[in-house]
Amino acid sequence: MRTIALYSNKGGVGKTAAAVNLSYLSAQTGAKTLICDIDPQSSATYYFRVKPKLKSGTKEFLKGGKKVFKSIKGTDYENLDLLPADFSHRRLDIVFSQLKRSENRLHGFLKPFKAEYDVVILDCPASISILAENVLNTVNCTLVPLIPTTLSVRTYLQLLTFCKRNTIDTSRIHTFFSMVDRRKKLHRLLMEKVSSKLSNVLESDIPYLSMIEQMGVYREPVVAFSPSSRASKAYQHLWRNLQETVFINH
Amino acid sequence: MRNTIKFNLADDEIESHISNHLAAQHKMLKETTISGRLTYYDTFDWRLFHKSFVLYTFQDRLILRKMGEEPIIHSINIKPTPCFIWEFPKGDFKQYLKPVIKMRRLLKIGDFMSGTTPYRILNQDEKTVARLFFETIRTRSRKNPKTIGTQLWLKPVKGYPKFSNKIKSQLESFGLTSNRDEDVFLQAMRETGQDPGSYSSKLALQLTPDMRADEATLRILRFLFQVIKINEAHIEHDLDTEILHDFRVAVRRTRSALVWSKNIFSVKETSRFKKDLSYVGKISNELRDLDVYLLNKPKYKAMLPEVLRQDIDPLFDYLGKKRSVSFRRVIRSLRSKKYIKIMQDWEAFLNEPQHEIVSGPNAEVPVFELAINRIYKQYRDVVKAGNRILENCDDEKLHKLRIQCKKLRYLIQFFANLFPSNKISILVGQLKKLQDMLGNYNDLSVQVNYLLKVSRKMPSNLSRLKNTLVAIGSLIGKLENKRQSVKESFAETFTVFSSSRNQKLFRDLFALLPEKVVS
Repeated sequence: MRTIALYSNKGGVGKTAAAVNLSYLSAQTGAKTLICDIDPQSSATYYFRVKPKLKSGTKEFLKGGKKVFKSIKGTDYENLDLLPADFSHRRLDIVFSQLKRSENRLHGFLKPFKAEYDVVILDCPASISILAENVLNTVNCTLVPLIPTTLSVRTYLQLLTFCKRNTIDTSRIHTFFSMVDRRKKLHRLLMEKVSSKLSNVLESDIPYLSMIEQMGVYREPVVAFSPSSRASKAYQHLWRNLQETVFINH
Repeated sequence: MRNTIKFNLADDEIESHISNHLAAQHKMLKETTISGRLTYYDTFDWRLFHKSFVLYTFQDRLILRKMGEEPIIHSINIKPTPCFIWEFPKGDFKQYLKPVIKMRRLLKIGDFMSGTTPYRILNQDEKTVARLFFETIRTRSRKNPKTIGTQLWLKPVKGYPKFSNKIKSQLESFGLTSNRDEDVFLQAMRETGQDPGSYSSKLALQLTPDMRADEATLRILRFLFQVIKINEAHIEHDLDTEILHDFRVAVRRTRSALVWSKNIFSVKETSRFKKDLSYVGKISNELRDLDVYLLNKPKYKAMLPEVLRQDIDPLFDYLGKKRSVSFRRVIRSLRSKKYIKIMQDWEAFLNEPQHEIVSGPNAEVPVFELAINRIYKQYRDVVKAGNRILENCDDEKLHKLRIQCKKLRYLIQFFANLFPSNKISILVGQLKKLQDMLGNYNDLSVQVNYLLKVSRKMPSNLSRLKNTLVAIGSLIGKLENKRQSVKESFAETFTVFSSSRNQKLFRDLFALLPEKVVS
């Protein structure tokens, strides 16, 4: 089982859009895929037309097992299931910190999925907390969408510093540019600078396109409702890139 | 409801009635019909069918599922369809299929057209809560396609069981009944006139303890003759190495059965056929050896250091060419007058009315008595020979013991159904371990000698010959080391086989008194 987290300590960078589209593309390859929405905003859940409600409380949720399995919903697509978000996820950090060995708890949560799924994609909330530490410690690959702006790059550097300070393996953290507007000089300059200075920057970038925003209207991944659009091609490229550079090592 | 349910439909026209009926009560979305060629695959000896697997291609996708079940175990996009396991890309599919088909070729066993129309049942949020698939399989005739089967699959969506349960009841109220009995694969095979699982080289003979020895022996020999003929007809197609192998094993088993048939039929005739079949066996000795070398190519390469792996290739090219020559020679021999005459005479003997066959002194003995006497005698011979090797181990003795073990194995297999299957399995398992060890030793000895011989004969004009000779030398070294370690393992393997527990098992099964047996 491969585990990927879409994570950023900054909000509104395109995590959910990437998680939803990548999970769809993964399922299309025939791999049994589960997208776990652990963001209390429940946007991924909304995109898949599922009600944001779990059959267990947050504590049970983290323990994993049967109750969590009961909450899983099939999506509109073959091979793709969703573990919906719940409003109670806003307390995930507090519950995590109350548990013993709190920084490695997510490992136990993901373990039971191994028997049923080939790929698990986590759509994480924007925070740099015990939940983030869990994600970074557990998954095979953390994907961080990066808007080519000064503040966004600064936040990403903060994340890398946090990882080094907490002895978290940064080789499993990959980034890609998101919401890119190539007409902007600043975007082009920052992309060039970041790609030359930092490692693990994926070649693919996701442009800033209204088609991606329309996912909220269609309530479907853009790769499903408009497979030949520019937006879809960008996600398909990102998915191929991910398979070639990241999956090959896991 | 968690699993997919299948309903067999009377014809493909019923689809519109059912969908209209459901559309009146649910919001339904019809999707584009997916049509394409559906091709089924299995090996010559139905290995997939025997393990309840169905392997097929649909739209460039190779799919494996369990018989009678819809969920797919593995699938990959691949074109052309691989013939052998080593042609599959690395991955889970290959790993899963490898122990099932081993070195056998995947053969196309049926070619059809499949059309599937998916429907989605939606809730008030337009979310898919159940799926329906109408699938029709037809023959490939353009003018007159014949429908093989029409079925409706109801596939629940995880987390929405109420919807699927409701639809299931509605379909049942429409007069449909869920059906898990017959897989469409079986319907398709019937259409092609094939009987899945009809061929197997494994001995599965139904003998009864009081059957006359001559009758039982004829039954065994006739079964083996069938295996010989079925495989003989396909040797020239060169589908895979196992066609010839099964042919050879059946010939060897026949010869082995003829040894103890001398007191059942006339000595003159049995010794004549023994000689004839010995000739039949020898025809393909060289070809089989070459097949084994070529099959072992990946294993041999893995034994070599990385730097020499490429250098061994000319050896396999050379062996490949030799195999082509040898193959043509075998085909010529199988078409020769001598071979045809032997087979005709043998068939005539087997088909002679039983009263006309000249009988030997053991003809009327109950087969159970014959079986226990032969097996126990053979077992004691094996143990005696093995004990002598423990005192003084040499190659000739090991070779003789290997042959004796083979005879014992054949005897047990011939008469297996006369004894409790669980006990027979234990004995065969123990014997197999000893046979594997002896077989390995023999193979390694033959391989070392053969490689030495080949290295002297290889054409000297090959530019890479020097490096190839170095690689062959290295391989010989590795094989020789292995050979020695296998030889050293004899004492341990044999001690387990001849343990008192095993001896007791043999005694309990086969050392019975005849009068007790007959009762």
